[in-house]
Amino acid sequence: MHIPDGFLDMNIAIVYYLLTAIVIAFCIYKIKRDGVDEKRIPIAGLVAAGIFAAQMLNWPIPGGTSAHFVGGAVAAIILGPFLGCIAMTSVVTIQALVFGDGGITALGTNLFSMAIVDVFVAYYLYKVLSKKNTKIASFIAGWLGITLGAINTGIAVGLSSTFKYSITTTVPIMGIWHGVLGIIEGLITVAIVSYIEKNRGDILYSSTKNKKVGKGGRK
Amino acid sequence: MNFKDFILEHKQALLVIFVAILLSPLFALAADAVGYSEPLEKSAEHLGAEETPLYGGILPDYSVPGLDSPIGTFIAGLVGSLVTLIIMYGVTKLIQGRNN
Repeated sequence: MHIPDGFLDMNIAIVYYLLTAIVIAFCIYKIKRDGVDEKRIPIAGLVAAGIFAAQMLNWPIPGGTSAHFVGGAVAAIILGPFLGCIAMTSVVTIQALVFGDGGITALGTNLFSMAIVDVFVAYYLYKVLSKKNTKIASFIAGWLGITLGAINTGIAVGLSSTFKYSITTTVPIMGIWHGVLGIIEGLITVAIVSYIEKNRGDILYSSTKNKKVGKGGRK
Repeated sequence: MNFKDFILEHKQALLVIFVAILLSPLFALAADAVGYSEPLEKSAEHLGAEETPLYGGILPDYSVPGLDSPIGTFIAGLVGSLVTLIIMYGVTKLIQGRNN
């Protein structure tokens, strides 16, 4: 899902840079306003590092189309949408700057797919569905988060001249393939979230939010 | 929090991350063996789009220039995870806002 340099028209790349910058600025504003508990700072670092490491594990699917874990849903469910977006932003930016994975011109677009669409779609799906069943909620969050992230990637390249403006080709290819591969993302998301829920339920964003009911008394 | 407390308090998470890094060379070899190709590359191939790399990175393609690929992958994974941990920790600390 990491777009390299040369795939995007410059105006598309710039529009995505601007959109991404606006959303990241909004996330920083929300984080500053709500505050981050001192104990959650190392957890934020560990979630980002864990997602970086997990993204290195390419799923070797013989003879066909492959992918790797993206992790937007995991970041969203553990850290919440705003800090989750910042965690994914760190991962994707380091991948581009240190490892040449994803182009520099495409960074705004790649962040929009993986740190914004994936994270926010996953967060709100989880939030709504977890009232019924947290396992099904994490699966759908992981699955549809990356599917929609991939569709955004398909839109961005499909609107570009290198891809012959073939958005009607790129969106189905990205959407269908990542929709199928996303099932694996969903399953990994369920495994991670269930494990944390069972052993360290206190670090999940949903449980830190519940505690905030008595916000005034926490100073 | 000092460094030792951090390691002790989060040893389980650190261990999981380390195991993933340790496994990454195996996954890289397996991906090579099956001809790893993502849907975006498939679309590019289908429409004849070509990338024009502008910048390769310090550790291009998760490898260390001049090092054998499995060891290079391992080092790249270790460096990448550590840099991500430090940057995200630092950024969160910077923007944490009003505290309790």
